[in-house]
Amino acid sequence: MTSSTALHTDPPDVASPDSDDAVLVVRDLRVSFHANTSLVPVVRGVDFELHPGKTLGIVGESGSGKSVTCLALMGLLPRARTSISGDVRLGERHLLHMSERELQDVRGKKMGMIFQDPMTSLNPFMRVGRQLSEMLEVHEGLSRRQAKRRALELMERVGIPDTGARYQHHPHQFSGGMRQRLMIAMALLTRPKVLIADEPTTALDVTIQAQILELIRGLAADFGTAVLFITHDLGVVAGIADEVMVMYAGRAVEKAPVRQLFASPQHPYTRGLLQAVPKLYEGGPLIAIPGAPPQPHALPSGCAFRPRCRYAHDGCAEDIPPPVHTADGRMLACPVVEKAPFPTLLDDLVPTTPPPVQTSLDLDDDLHALPDEGEADAERPPREFQDDDPEVGS
Amino acid sequence: MSGPSTTTAIPTVRIRNLQVNYRVPMYRPFPQRPQRGEHESWLSFAASSTTFVARTLMSLMAPLSEGVVRAVDGFSLDIAPGETVGLVGESGCGKSSTGRALLKLEKVADGTVEIEGTDVMSSQAGTRTLRRKAQMVFQDPYASLDPRMTVRDIIAEPLRGLRAELSARQRRERVASIMLQCGLNPSDGHRYPHEFSGGQRQRIAIARALAPSPQLLIADEPVSALDVSVQAQIVNLLSDLQKTHGLSMLFIAHDLAVVRHVSHRIAVMYFGRIVELGSAEQLTERPQHPYTQALLRAVPVADPNTERRKTQLLIDGDLPSPLRPPSGCAFHPRCAQATERCEQDPPLLKIGKLNHQVACHVAHDEA
Repeated sequence: MTSSTALHTDPPDVASPDSDDAVLVVRDLRVSFHANTSLVPVVRGVDFELHPGKTLGIVGESGSGKSVTCLALMGLLPRARTSISGDVRLGERHLLHMSERELQDVRGKKMGMIFQDPMTSLNPFMRVGRQLSEMLEVHEGLSRRQAKRRALELMERVGIPDTGARYQHHPHQFSGGMRQRLMIAMALLTRPKVLIADEPTTALDVTIQAQILELIRGLAADFGTAVLFITHDLGVVAGIADEVMVMYAGRAVEKAPVRQLFASPQHPYTRGLLQAVPKLYEGGPLIAIPGAPPQPHALPSGCAFRPRCRYAHDGCAEDIPPPVHTADGRMLACPVVEKAPFPTLLDDLVPTTPPPVQTSLDLDDDLHALPDEGEADAERPPREFQDDDPEVGS
Repeated sequence: MSGPSTTTAIPTVRIRNLQVNYRVPMYRPFPQRPQRGEHESWLSFAASSTTFVARTLMSLMAPLSEGVVRAVDGFSLDIAPGETVGLVGESGCGKSSTGRALLKLEKVADGTVEIEGTDVMSSQAGTRTLRRKAQMVFQDPYASLDPRMTVRDIIAEPLRGLRAELSARQRRERVASIMLQCGLNPSDGHRYPHEFSGGQRQRIAIARALAPSPQLLIADEPVSALDVSVQAQIVNLLSDLQKTHGLSMLFIAHDLAVVRHVSHRIAVMYFGRIVELGSAEQLTERPQHPYTQALLRAVPVADPNTERRKTQLLIDGDLPSPLRPPSGCAFHPRCAQATERCEQDPPLLKIGKLNHQVACHVAHDEA
């Protein structure tokens, strides 16, 4: 890894203007997995903080490190086979230095979590009511009766009908949406300060997804919970997040308040993602990002998005672009765009507009090919077995 | 997207009243555990407890009876040459069963399927025609490719069986040309599926399906396992191939936005039936069926302003149990506009207010 000449990165603790009321502060989080003889970097320096009643959305494709980030926060990665560094503070406590025992107390009490598949998180042999009330007995020392009353209240609050009877049921007797409601009830039972939701609606149908999102939104506002919401769906994040962080290959490439990010995305990857999303009220070809995300054990040098980026130039291969806080309150990790920002989302789609950087080696194809001319994928070979331009559709 | 020529006399596929049933074993309800207080003595409690365990084990092993689920319940559709019909619905609505039944991957209980005028369901010869003329792309490109075959062999395999007249040389040429068309490099033919990324694998699956030059391509959730950036590549590839080959395509997916991009017409399925069928533009912009409306509003849009403007968009509840289908219109328990008639009368699919078909009493009355 090249050591960059101390470019203007934010000093870890001091600079962030609003870190005073932050409930969870994450600084330079790095996670590597041990593989045979080498270390595979999966999360490569992530900073963010969570604020009460606010939702931070993390978007990224599979392998971008978003789920590993949240597992690392919760201390749920196998300690023997992972190296974690950085600083994670929940209030005054440093989570990364805690013993397993201390973590047990934090998990469930101070931090709740919801996962993608509720069935694997619920005990199939235990009646759901008992699973809920047990938590209260363990974490808050309530009596069995008090715990039951609280559990029933919360089951009702998350929209489970007929709670009296449902309390006695086993998880398999619930539908997928109802199970996710149960998980949410379970996660919020002890009124945690932080809720971590890792793709909580991915396994659900859209109509049920809408119900669950509504529920999370409402509860977070009522309880003042800080939510970390991880998803691959830009539509979901647009609806639920106050601030959005876009991750690519283990690093945050852009972070901004939600409206700002969607109105004027800056990083070429963010722009590519937004353009690739199918729109409900438009037909016709989509604008794809060529190539595929890199494997964590074979990352390109410098900016990881470089091989797929239409604005990449020589300099991008040298240093990993440092996160820079721009004047409009956004974090951006792309020196190219930083110098020549895009005004709106569709700017680089108009072929007459020159891209911000002219000195590019292999830009020729990209410049002249309108992205919707058939196979956008073939414009630039991202891997060696894609060398020929297939000319589909001609 | 310009519509295909619908004037041709024979549709590529004519499906009439397709029906698929699944048999589901029904078990006894889980017995109530005996309580200690209900017994006079320890002995009778222990005895009833033992009976409880024995009964539970037995009921787990022996199903009480068999229930029948109508996964596809009278499905009729024509697909014109060069036309893409999108089939959308929530999980369990029967969309995948429909696609699989068309290829005889599920047992068809009733109904006819004609491909270019030939009945393919009833005879052995029909099955051979079907295999040659209709091919499928599956959802999971990790499961649908044989890990021990090279890419070249995977794509050539359907040619060996279905295009036996080709010489080995012609076959090689065909494999190379189809790989090129699908955005694969023919010099990678000797590689194995695990050497490719998810998007590349789906290209291989598409190449395999197109190799025997089918008239109909059934794509069952072909992009839902892929990331957004790669998903767009595959969606575009399928659209392009469909145009260049003049294929008819049945594009099955749960994501309305994706379906909107590839389809000429869209059919919305609920509970084994088509509830609305119309042109892609009309159906997404002016949906008639309350279910389609709810579905469309539930699709998350990548725009914070739109997302936050949505108020009371939800339909309540889940899909009803397929073992106990609701009477009348299957959507009535979740429908805000349901009337008494909806509880009794199942609505038929017919032309509504706009020039497309809808199965809803309320929409019919307005027309």
